[in-house]
Amino acid sequence: MSQKVLDALKATHGSGVDHTESQFGDDIAWVKREALLDIAIWLKTDPSMLFDAPVFCTAIDRLDWRPVGVPPSQHWNESKPRFEVAYQLRSQKHRHRVRIKIAVAEHDPRCPSLSGVWPAFNWQERETFDMYGIQFENHPDLRRIYMYEEFVGYPLRKDYPKEKRQPLVRRDDLPINPIKAGHQETK
Amino acid sequence: MAATRDITSLKQLVLGRKDVQDLIDEEIELPPDLMTINMGPSHPAMHGTVRIVLTVDGETIVKGDVQPGYLHRCFEKESEYATYTQVFPYTDRLNYVSPMLNNVGWAMAVEKLMGLTDQIPKRAEYIRVIVGEISRITDHLTCIGASAMELGAFAVFLFFLKAREWLYELLEKVSGARLTHSYVRIGGVVKDLPEGFCDELSYNLDQVAKVIVEVEGLLNANKIFRDRMAGIGKLTREEAIATGCVGPIARAAGVDYDVRKDYPYSVYPELEFDVPVGTTGDCLDRYLIRMEELKQSMRILRQCIAQIPGGSVMVDDHRVALPPKRDTYNTIESMIRHFKHIVDGIRVPAGEAYTFIEGGNGELGFYVAADGTGRPYKAYVRSPSFVHLSTAEKLITGHFIADVVPIFGMINMIGGECDK
Amino acid sequence: MTVVGTPPAPPAAPPPLAPNTTTVTLTIDGQPVTVPKGTNVLEAAKELGIDIPAFCYHPGLPIVAQCRQCLVAVEKNPKLQPSCQQVCGEGMVVHTQDKQSTLARKQMLEFTLLNHPIDCPICDKAGECTLQKLYFEADNEDSRVDVPKVEKAKVVDLGPTVVLDQERCILCSRCIRTCDVVAGEHQLEFAHRGEHEVLTTAPGAQLDNPYSLNTVDVCPVGALTAKDFRFTMRAWELEATPTVCNGCATGCNVELHHKDERAWRIVPRHNPAVNKYWMCDEGRFTYHDLREQRLAGAIVDGLPAGWDRAIAYAAQRITAALKDNGLAVALSALAGNEDNFALAQLAKSWGLTRVFVGALAPIPSRADGRLRVADVNPNTAGVAEICRALGLEVTTDVTGVKCLVMLGDTLDVEVTGIELIAIAAHERGPVIKAKAALPCADWAERAGTITNNQGHVQRQHAAFPPLGHAIPAWEAVVRLAQATSVKMSFTHVREVFVEMTNTVPAWKGSPWVREARPLQLRFAGSRG
Repeated sequence: MSQKVLDALKATHGSGVDHTESQFGDDIAWVKREALLDIAIWLKTDPSMLFDAPVFCTAIDRLDWRPVGVPPSQHWNESKPRFEVAYQLRSQKHRHRVRIKIAVAEHDPRCPSLSGVWPAFNWQERETFDMYGIQFENHPDLRRIYMYEEFVGYPLRKDYPKEKRQPLVRRDDLPINPIKAGHQETK
Repeated sequence: MAATRDITSLKQLVLGRKDVQDLIDEEIELPPDLMTINMGPSHPAMHGTVRIVLTVDGETIVKGDVQPGYLHRCFEKESEYATYTQVFPYTDRLNYVSPMLNNVGWAMAVEKLMGLTDQIPKRAEYIRVIVGEISRITDHLTCIGASAMELGAFAVFLFFLKAREWLYELLEKVSGARLTHSYVRIGGVVKDLPEGFCDELSYNLDQVAKVIVEVEGLLNANKIFRDRMAGIGKLTREEAIATGCVGPIARAAGVDYDVRKDYPYSVYPELEFDVPVGTTGDCLDRYLIRMEELKQSMRILRQCIAQIPGGSVMVDDHRVALPPKRDTYNTIESMIRHFKHIVDGIRVPAGEAYTFIEGGNGELGFYVAADGTGRPYKAYVRSPSFVHLSTAEKLITGHFIADVVPIFGMINMIGGECDK
Repeated sequence: MTVVGTPPAPPAAPPPLAPNTTTVTLTIDGQPVTVPKGTNVLEAAKELGIDIPAFCYHPGLPIVAQCRQCLVAVEKNPKLQPSCQQVCGEGMVVHTQDKQSTLARKQMLEFTLLNHPIDCPICDKAGECTLQKLYFEADNEDSRVDVPKVEKAKVVDLGPTVVLDQERCILCSRCIRTCDVVAGEHQLEFAHRGEHEVLTTAPGAQLDNPYSLNTVDVCPVGALTAKDFRFTMRAWELEATPTVCNGCATGCNVELHHKDERAWRIVPRHNPAVNKYWMCDEGRFTYHDLREQRLAGAIVDGLPAGWDRAIAYAAQRITAALKDNGLAVALSALAGNEDNFALAQLAKSWGLTRVFVGALAPIPSRADGRLRVADVNPNTAGVAEICRALGLEVTTDVTGVKCLVMLGDTLDVEVTGIELIAIAAHERGPVIKAKAALPCADWAERAGTITNNQGHVQRQHAAFPPLGHAIPAWEAVVRLAQATSVKMSFTHVREVFVEMTNTVPAWKGSPWVREARPLQLRFAGSRG
């Protein structure tokens, strides 16, 4: 229970925080995209916060979100943002944890990259990009990590059918020397 | 027209090359270009298929582009189409050298969403800890054994695999399979330990302890081993934390973080054990920490054997427990309940939670979003191997190609867990 | 692939209630809800996401409050009230989770299960059975029965389409009311009393009305099973795709249940404006036709050919006929709006002013004032609208026609001596004699729209990809266009739809519905 983290967050960055909630003992703060980088740096450096350890970064696609037992108004519809990017952080010193979530719309799937603040998010944001198509701004090397470069589509999206086939591709078009040739552009 | 037909130009003409003795002094110097060589994905030292595109200057690595993903088997996508119980076989195949720990992690994740965490019977919790710690021992045995073999100590590999096989036989008696157990269920475990298990486990632990002593004698003071491991792949404490390292790698760098101690779960508060923490953060410290963790796990196991209570191994809640077969075939109520469990799955109320345990490699977490039906809406695995592999690029830069082997081995990158 | 564009417009606010409708506000489980006057408590609870278990209640049938499963506690009422029959009152306070209601629910389920046979492994309804669902969600207690169960008849032939298992029947009377209300004929009723009460046919009657299979849909258990679907496929393996029936001009909204690209059954979807909750039996059998005599590859001059050769040959014949003014085009009242629109636009580009329309002959005896109508073509209205908007005259005069490009396989004009280029899904009728036959998708594989006789433009979703080498019909039209040097560059059916709604004034502004992903039935909870 890190309610005081959420309270401190709301106190210092009130306008950047949409709302906070707590589910099953996890503390979640919904943050606006524009305020994310400032909040992240504050969370890492502020002495009472000291979230120096990154845990994970992933996204949820709410396209099929029709939960049972809740009013239909809480189901997903076209007016709500489709994706949520979630960052989980941990503090080695204070032992508290927090989850930061950012709502991202389908027609504008951008989110600031936190790989400059915590290096672990470099690969994890690549994974989220690979699986969901979220573009992380200012990421040093945003290319696919699990799938091969020629893969078309974003597999973990709910409208990507599980049985979809992709063609096999030859790989002799890759550059010989990555330093000289530079990395390939991602589609 | 007759060009100069001396032997050098003839060779050039016919064979397309000059021999070394025909080169003039300027030509003999090694070319200053960097060379790109490919290590993996099919490579004996790239455990579980990882590809590193190395750019080397002579023997020194200038840049390494680590490319995982060759073992990606779509765990998350498949989990969205399977019931919660059907995800257990998928979790077996995540960190496949310590499968029970993954099972336990997934079960705890779903139990947290259902609010059952405090209602799991004590015996089931003890059994989970027992099989979990046995899995941790097999994980470390595999890691150290394989790394030692790649450094040339083949006998160590055979000794540790012999010890590991005894433990796999034990787990086979418990669950029916050597590696892909699917033994844990939501609410407990699938069935009780077999008769005489604890005595057998006790005996096997003694034998494993002897093997550990043998191997320590072979490796700890071994000059070749120490030279190849000490000072290689250093991580400072701040780097380890900022790059998300957990488990033996973080502890080697001086980060005192073990989920069992810092965020205790299950019956670990009732057990006494120590967590070794290193100082230098190099490969030798990681090796020493893993050896010490082996001994600590055995210490936990001996306590569990002494303390395990009787009782049932599945929570008595009709929402998660299958009815006994006799009732299923003879009463309509149990028939329906069994049917709904299997076809629809266990109904988990809508919500999301992140549950983490101490896996073989550190904090293994499951971030599960449930939507009230019997299948997960999202099942994300926070795999420590993936995070550790991202540090590999930095660790190998500046070292020799030969140093990739101990660094990679001591990261313990399990392909299944890294690529999910 | 990032597409940065304008965000979608927020959904329009729901229309305000009509001025003379009043609403009531009540509290269910501590949450307030406002509903129109006359709503029952069960429906009001659904607005809050609270599912009160019920067997005999069906929103499209008269309320009988027979099963007593939906009992809830209403304050100021000493006894529990059936929420399906209880009309919401202003300020009413309802509890559904209190001790009395939950116990009543468990007890009612226990009664219902007392004599229920242990048939789940062999029962068709398993996986979509309401009794299974309600037991698991509301009861989940062990059995207290230690006496043998009452035995009744197991396989009773009720009529040409339905089989009854009397032991499984929980006596909810939904089927009786369905026959009375939907078909208007009293063909089922209960006989005997107590634990021997059974469902049976009315004296002298059989269950043979044209809406008989709706009883199988509404039956909450596996008592009534369809002879067409019995023992063929397990419900939880099926995937459900929403679409519209292609059987007649009513256009009942349906779900096509399929697995591995093969259709297994059709059930109705709720649409208050078109078919409410029902559909006729003939529509249910239209899925059999999806695999009959399918054209899976292009055919030129009676022999199989590749697409390129077929298109090239067709283009050549078309160009030749154009020079002689002998080209004609036949739209189809059985094809979708987009397919017809693309072909009609192509006809106009070729300079034609008149088109034929292929349609099945009407069956007057079908019209019964309920759902079945005489016109058995699903898209007559759509084709008429398109022709009107593009200024094409509909004709039946074949004089001077040398080459006819037809959509579909139905055409009731004399075509001997005319070269046919058919874009069809089935190889029958005129298509057998076609010079070039281009395979296209059938109605279940079509993502597009059709217009019913009331003018509703209804979206059909593709359940599985077209068979063999078939492609959507509009795509075949685009290929023909490009081969005959007509500019037509649609790459997605949505583009055809947008162009079509901009051209046809009656359909302007209709939104395109996102493609529905097949929902696997096992994850939809229980149906029915």
